[in-house]
Amino acid sequence: MTVLVTVLLVGLTVAVALLGVLVVGLLRSHAEILRSLHELGAGREDTAPRAAGPVDVPFGVRPGVLEPAGVTGAGAVDVSGETPDGDSVQFSVTAGPDTLLAFLSSGCLTCHGIWERFRDRTPLGLPAGTRLVVVTQGTERESATAVEKLAAPGLAVVMSTAVWEAYEVPGSPYFVLVDGTAGRVAGEGSATSWEQVERLVTEATGDRARDIAAHRHGHGEDTGDGAHREARADRELLAAGIAPGHPSLELTAEEVAELPRAQG
Amino acid sequence: MKLRAHGMAVDAPRGWEVRISRRRREGQEVGAERRPVLHAATVALPEERGDFGGGVTPLLSEEDLFVSLFEYGPEAVGTPLFATKGRPRPTVADFAPNRLQRSIPGQSGCQWFFQEGGRAFCLYVVLGSHARRAALVNRLNDVLATLDLDADASR
Repeated sequence: MTVLVTVLLVGLTVAVALLGVLVVGLLRSHAEILRSLHELGAGREDTAPRAAGPVDVPFGVRPGVLEPAGVTGAGAVDVSGETPDGDSVQFSVTAGPDTLLAFLSSGCLTCHGIWERFRDRTPLGLPAGTRLVVVTQGTERESATAVEKLAAPGLAVVMSTAVWEAYEVPGSPYFVLVDGTAGRVAGEGSATSWEQVERLVTEATGDRARDIAAHRHGHGEDTGDGAHREARADRELLAAGIAPGHPSLELTAEEVAELPRAQG
Repeated sequence: MKLRAHGMAVDAPRGWEVRISRRRREGQEVGAERRPVLHAATVALPEERGDFGGGVTPLLSEEDLFVSLFEYGPEAVGTPLFATKGRPRPTVADFAPNRLQRSIPGQSGCQWFFQEGGRAFCLYVVLGSHARRAALVNRLNDVLATLDLDADASR
């Protein structure tokens, strides 16, 4: 009888110990999940104290219009495809100055205003040297006849689904400004009118010119915090055509130090 | 990417501008027959340009080149000018500054008339620098090696 009680007690003790370990493990796992969620920003609205003053309303655009992505620094690809009248063309985004790619379709209502603006004979207001190329999806998805009717005479139009995919265009209308010198995307986004596109292009080229000027004239004393310095470094690297994945970013300090001797 | 239209095809290297289109010969009236033309260049091709590089060649730097492959009508195939059969293989020795249609100091050029697949063509090339013609001819031949010309002349 005593032996039986002892065995039961030992068994219960072991069971309690195992359950304890299990509960501790679950609590730890739960804490890690909560920490991960917190790092991802979940639950901020619930945990942050309510402000008595004005509340920041997140920026939004009209339904059906895509939000701008801004400067991405992504590598640009040449624009190859058919024209509505059956020619075959390639526009190089690095063979000249900046290129503004206008991704339009024949069906979207917002695009019709843009097409109409292109048919207008008044100047488009793009910076000098900026070339405009309209890109629609390929003939398997777009009607060449419809595009030809919408396109202004002399307007460069390329029909290529591959180009849409290469630039990861989320929908139309969408605009990508390519820096011809760096061969990289200087800015991209959507717009409901040509005036907005003009502003996007002007801001992108202006920001780039300012960054280049700042780079040439030195930076002075850096009083910003770490995030500020990091953002500025990112801007300057993008302005110099160095984006994530650039080979130069793989070099160690020793390899960089060796460069002048190796190239000299 | 391989560009193909109007019985011509070519691999367009990255950084090159290429147009395969139909154009009326310069000076011909509106309504005249349009012939296939291939333009390729390492500079941006303006929309307004001549069959043989008018409006383009002044833009060439020392590292640039321009190519025009112009197809003539079927009546040209039997003429002495197009007697050479098969496309040319350009060499450095072919190029000279005095072979340009529009002379620009420092540039060099050459043109070849030939027939292939029952079609009559003129290949005209302008190099941005006569001094650097060796390197430029290598780039030219890399592109010409990918050129396909269909034999069907009834397009």
